Amino acid sequence: MPDDTKASALPAGEGTLVSTARDRATKASKGTASAVAPYLFALFAVGVIWQVAIAVLDPPSTILPSPVSVAGTFFEELFSGELIVNAAVSLTRVTSAWLISALIGIPLGVLIARSRAAERLIDPIIELFRPISPLAWIPLAILWFGIGEAGKVFIIFIATFFPIVLNTVDGIKRVDPVLLRAGQVLGCTNQVELFLRVMLPAAIPSILVGLRVSFGTGWAAIIAAELVAANSGLGYLIADGMEILRSDLVMVGMIAIGIIGVLVDAIFKLVANRVG
Amino acid sequence: MDMSQPPGEAHRPDADGRAAIEISRVSKQFHDGEGGVVEAIRSTSLDIAEGDFVAIVGPSGCGKSTLLNMLGGFDSPSSGQILVDGKAIAGPDIQRGMVFQDYALFPWLSVLDNVTFGLKKSHSRSEARDEAMKWLELVGLKDFARKQPKHLSGGMKQRVAIARTFATDPRVILMDEPFGALDALTRRFLQQQLLKIWREHRKTVVFITHSVQEAVYLANRVVIMTARPGRIKLDEKIELAHPRKVTDPAFRDTEARIFEALDEELAKTFSLETSDGHAD
Repeated sequence: MPDDTKASALPAGEGTLVSTARDRATKASKGTASAVAPYLFALFAVGVIWQVAIAVLDPPSTILPSPVSVAGTFFEELFSGELIVNAAVSLTRVTSAWLISALIGIPLGVLIARSRAAERLIDPIIELFRPISPLAWIPLAILWFGIGEAGKVFIIFIATFFPIVLNTVDGIKRVDPVLLRAGQVLGCTNQVELFLRVMLPAAIPSILVGLRVSFGTGWAAIIAAELVAANSGLGYLIADGMEILRSDLVMVGMIAIGIIGVLVDAIFKLVANRVG
Repeated sequence: MDMSQPPGEAHRPDADGRAAIEISRVSKQFHDGEGGVVEAIRSTSLDIAEGDFVAIVGPSGCGKSTLLNMLGGFDSPSSGQILVDGKAIAGPDIQRGMVFQDYALFPWLSVLDNVTFGLKKSHSRSEARDEAMKWLELVGLKDFARKQPKHLSGGMKQRVAIARTFATDPRVILMDEPFGALDALTRRFLQQQLLKIWREHRKTVVFITHSVQEAVYLANRVVIMTARPGRIKLDEKIELAHPRKVTDPAFRDTEARIFEALDEELAKTFSLETSDGHAD
């Protein structure tokens, strides 16, 4: 979107396109570089502290492996395809649970925000269930859904549901009343029309925040979901590493979760910026 | 409130000079939330003729915004009635356009899409676009059609809002302190633009302001409202020829006369506030 402002300042002609394209490219790469730099620095700092700790404490490698050996395992797992397969499995689980949450949570949030009766009825239920950690649902998830995919998706669903509902409620409630009035004097003659043309678009930024946050909480719950009877996924990688006393494998799983979490969040922010 | 029919000729006021808006003995009370009742407007009557530009001026809390909200259909009188073209107001309607102080542009739509918003039902897509571009050109913002509202200054936003309202060709345009948030220069520019558009299109305009100078500069009729409960204190025709000059002696005389009436009301508001022990 930030286009023509720059172009108009330059002389017209052949050079214009090239220089704006280059201009944009450097701007973009500078933006990416400055966004990524803190993360690289954080990784480096953690690595240094870690290495110093190894040098001073000299622990057995099953308790604390060296950063170099963890990095080795990381790339081993990455190039063998193991890491990618497990990450893909976990991402699929989180994405499906998150989509189900969105399908149920957004309409429910709208209902709560729009109807006083619905709010009185549903809000207390949500407040009661919200503090219960997804971990607590594991036994019931197994009883209800068995040890297949459904139980895992259910646990992540619990983790993703509430942020979506609450942000939707908030977004709809916070729509500036003057925008609704403007919609009405510009021809929205009924509530449905007003909702579709004004209220919902006005609430979209807030709903997107809910979707982003909930993907994050869902992603963080992947361990809980894959703790039980999983044979794939990053949570499985960690649980498996623990069982065979491979703490390097455990750490690789943790690192992968961290990196993917940051990447997905960055994608959401990018989308939100486009829309907002 | 069938929107599908365009603002047809059948709706035009009768040749007998019947007022476009008839406000008769309208009162409005609010509950103040503490068990008390606030009387915002008391038994106010006002007829506004087709094509009039009426400015309503008064101290804050005089009920002028309440009156405008009732005209807009967002609120209804506690007693009395308001007729527009002989019909009671049943709710907000595209026939009564409104320009808000804080612009109320839809931030998710481009400038162009904001202006076509009200044209979706009455125009085809390309007609709506052409009509919107015509109005954007009229307010000097044709080149900003593709921009998002957040990239515009306050004055530009209000010009878009004016274009958006005039584009729907309403019978009446209600303006709620539309230039109140703008700096003096921008304000002057927008006043001139609004006046130009009004003189070309002769819409019935009800314009709320707290600036006497703005009222005298724009309107052909200035109505002063009293402090709470709001009533009409002065109803003055402004016969000065356009373009008006604020430095013109006749302009200054008119302004002075209106100020005098307003000053009495301000004194009352002030003593009311001090006797109440609190201000708004």
